[in-house]
Amino acid sequence: MTTARGRAVRPISLSANRWTSLILGAGSLLAAAAFGWPFVVSAVPADAQAAVPWVAFALVPALVVALALTLDREMYTAKTVALLGVLGAIGAAVRIAGTGVGGVEAVFVLLILAGRAYGARFGFLLGLLTIAVSSLLWGGFGPWTPFQMFACAWVGAGAGLLPRSRVSRLGQRLEITLLAAYGVVASYLFGLVMNLWFWPFAVGGGTDISYTADAAPGQNLASFALYSLVTSTLTWDTVRAITTVVGIVLVGPAVLAALRRAKLSPR
Amino acid sequence: MFRLRPGPLRAAVLLAVGFVLLRVVYRAAFGGVGGPGPVLLDLPLLRLGGPFSHVTLLGPITLQGLGNAALSALPVAAVILFFGALNAVVDVSRLFGRGAGRGPLRAISRALVIAWATFPALLDSVRRVRIARRLRGERGVAALLVPVFEQTIERALALAASMETRGLAADSSADGSADALTADCARPATMTDASLAFAGSWHLDHLAFALAPGTLTVIAGPTGSGKTSLLHSLSGLFQHFFDGTQGGVIEVAGVDRARTPPRNTAAFVGLVSQNVRLGFAAETVHDEIGFALAVRGVAPVIVHARVLEVAARLQITALVPRPINALSAGEATLVAIASALVARPILLLVDEPLADLDEAARLRVCAVLADLAHEAQVCVVVAEHNTAEFAATADAWLEIQGTRVQVRGAGDRPGARADARADDSVRADDSVRADDSVSPLARAIPVAAPGEPRVSIRHLTVTHGTTRVVDDVSFSIGPGQIVALRGPNGAGKSSLLHAIALPSAPDSVIINGTNVSALKRSTRRQAVALVPENFDDLLFSISVSEECRRSDRSTRASASTAEVFAALLGRSAGAPLTALLGQHPRDLSAGERLCLVIAIQLAACPALLLVDEPTRGLDPQARALVGSALLRASRSGTAVMFATHDQAFVDGIATTTMLMRAARLVPELVPS
Repeated sequence: MTTARGRAVRPISLSANRWTSLILGAGSLLAAAAFGWPFVVSAVPADAQAAVPWVAFALVPALVVALALTLDREMYTAKTVALLGVLGAIGAAVRIAGTGVGGVEAVFVLLILAGRAYGARFGFLLGLLTIAVSSLLWGGFGPWTPFQMFACAWVGAGAGLLPRSRVSRLGQRLEITLLAAYGVVASYLFGLVMNLWFWPFAVGGGTDISYTADAAPGQNLASFALYSLVTSTLTWDTVRAITTVVGIVLVGPAVLAALRRAKLSPR
Repeated sequence: MFRLRPGPLRAAVLLAVGFVLLRVVYRAAFGGVGGPGPVLLDLPLLRLGGPFSHVTLLGPITLQGLGNAALSALPVAAVILFFGALNAVVDVSRLFGRGAGRGPLRAISRALVIAWATFPALLDSVRRVRIARRLRGERGVAALLVPVFEQTIERALALAASMETRGLAADSSADGSADALTADCARPATMTDASLAFAGSWHLDHLAFALAPGTLTVIAGPTGSGKTSLLHSLSGLFQHFFDGTQGGVIEVAGVDRARTPPRNTAAFVGLVSQNVRLGFAAETVHDEIGFALAVRGVAPVIVHARVLEVAARLQITALVPRPINALSAGEATLVAIASALVARPILLLVDEPLADLDEAARLRVCAVLADLAHEAQVCVVVAEHNTAEFAATADAWLEIQGTRVQVRGAGDRPGARADARADDSVRADDSVRADDSVSPLARAIPVAAPGEPRVSIRHLTVTHGTTRVVDDVSFSIGPGQIVALRGPNGAGKSSLLHAIALPSAPDSVIINGTNVSALKRSTRRQAVALVPENFDDLLFSISVSEECRRSDRSTRASASTAEVFAALLGRSAGAPLTALLGQHPRDLSAGERLCLVIAIQLAACPALLLVDEPTRGLDPQARALVGSALLRASRSGTAVMFATHDQAFVDGIATTTMLMRAARLVPELVPS
């Protein structure tokens, strides 16, 4: 939606912009498939099924790099680079300050507000960067990092894709409400998506909610739903949703005002 | 590349153990720890219904079942440990710098470098604002948000401007466009019937001048007159970054400024921005000086040689290996000048280089700028309200008067007579002295009962680490007195003021007979309030009116902050103030901002008002404004104490002068 309007505003870069959107969309779809690998397995020929988790693990980091490469050219202006770096540092600081306070991912507040102010692509890159910086600083780099990067990038990008023109006429309060509602949805989806790829590793084999490669997708789905409910949906995700809503309502107007004073046009 | 830090390893061990425990708990909950061997705990089996009919909860727990569960978790736990060890050993952050200059991920790599360099600044900002929060008598995380965030965005924009003028994202030489700009060394800067305007009401018209190579030109004029905008109309930031409108023709080295963004003239226009630290984009002094060359893809060997050459020219070779955040204010200015010089500019633009510096650093920076103009034949343009410093070296002056710019010769320094007058104007503000009975401030602030002496400081000592920054200081101040605290940089003036405002030792600060260290956050400000050197830290809101309401809420006294603010500005709370109240506090001029912060602190009716460096970076008009504000405060019965380097300001308003040297108060109080 945003990209469609973006094209209308900047007709010069029409074809390049369309390509970027296409690559971003396709990359995100592929990444979504990699996240959902436990459910993709049954669609793969039996001989290749054992390789699926490994492919998924290689695919996500590769996609992170590919999409970063795609966006890099477009983001290479002094203002964007500076804002990305500085906001990435804030995000990482907030995330590190929040570790140990499980679920209090205050970084979502920043991602959503920045994505809203500066657009989906900025939000996407900020998500990637925040996780990269905080993981490096805190020393938590590992196979899970690319998955977290993607999930956070989606949170930022989604905020940039929320409808814009109609809302801005109706005023600040409605915008904050919209963002808070999005924050709730994003918090739960983030939890689900992060559970999805890790579920087979977390539980291992031999329990009733274990991932079983040869079971019907329906049974796996039910097992996953139960796992997710127990693991995070009722606890971490709910806490995260609440902190995100409270955060957006409390700091949203001030942060949006500060971000918009910097006058970077959304893209 | 490699180093050892135990933190990540420790975290990984915790994570791995947690993972194994979690696996065991899951298995126990979902019927996975049964098996042969003795049953430890025989829990009942619960079968779920509906779509979950394949799931049973609980069930018997056996020792072997538990062991199996834990064992099955070991491979993943091992992966966690492996990455923990990797994190502990490899220093990935060192890799960022390599991709930032060139390559397909340069935007993201550069953003990573900036993020890395932002961390110390961010921590510092949070620390400063936490102190500011205590000074305002507030609590809660929400108060930190606006100042920290605004400072960070401010930093991002300053950084963006500094990177833009040093050629980040310039049209690459492969396209030929950057090199196609042939610089005309003989005409560094010319304006032909040019005009500048912002969307508001500010504009400059009929600009016509030409600057010659090898000259030093100073742009003079009061704060808010547009010195910086005029300077940036040459750097190109005015037209291409701050959304200003230009008319007529402005050329730098023969290139049309309106059509060429700053990044494409980085090879021959250098800029040193106002707050140089905010513009630092690298982690070390070496990389900072070499930045303009590195982003253009110049080979690292050549960059290194050029960095050393420039550093030698400015005599800062010793600074080159240092981290960028380990510089004094004077050193930071010299490094910023060096990084503007590294590309051998024809035109060097410098914005307010002296505001933050003490006497020695000022002389050095002035000498360097004069030397660059007269020896190295660079065309140097400096925006500076402090014209006296360049009296001996300037070749020409551009004085902003209203909407016109007057070009003056070397001997015709603008403000030479005004300087002499300004010192009197602070003193001779008769309106303040005469009408204290009807002064709006006297009405706005209820006068506390007089008592003698009001403030008594007893054996106050402050230690930072092992050094004593304030050593056994004792004195007293009576009501309505204005005390000036003088002394060289590093004498401990700021530390003394902070220690009086937020005392930690009991019985060292007694005000109106009360021990201040025993007072609570909310009542302490009725005894003593401090306006710190970084007074912007105390601005917590997004509009002036909200700021005033916030202040009214936190003080239980009857004074209205908006009224005090109006009184300090010498205005009645009418129409002119309404326009101010609607603005963002950070959009006010420096003098108005300082008055707003003084108003916030005065609204609590403190017996003692402390102000750290009240005239730093202010032009004569703003100084006069702040001077009369302090006089008004003292006429309403508040004791005032301020630290300053500004002798003329002291002579104008102080009733008593104290001198501090090497952490001690020089004994005699000299009545002025």
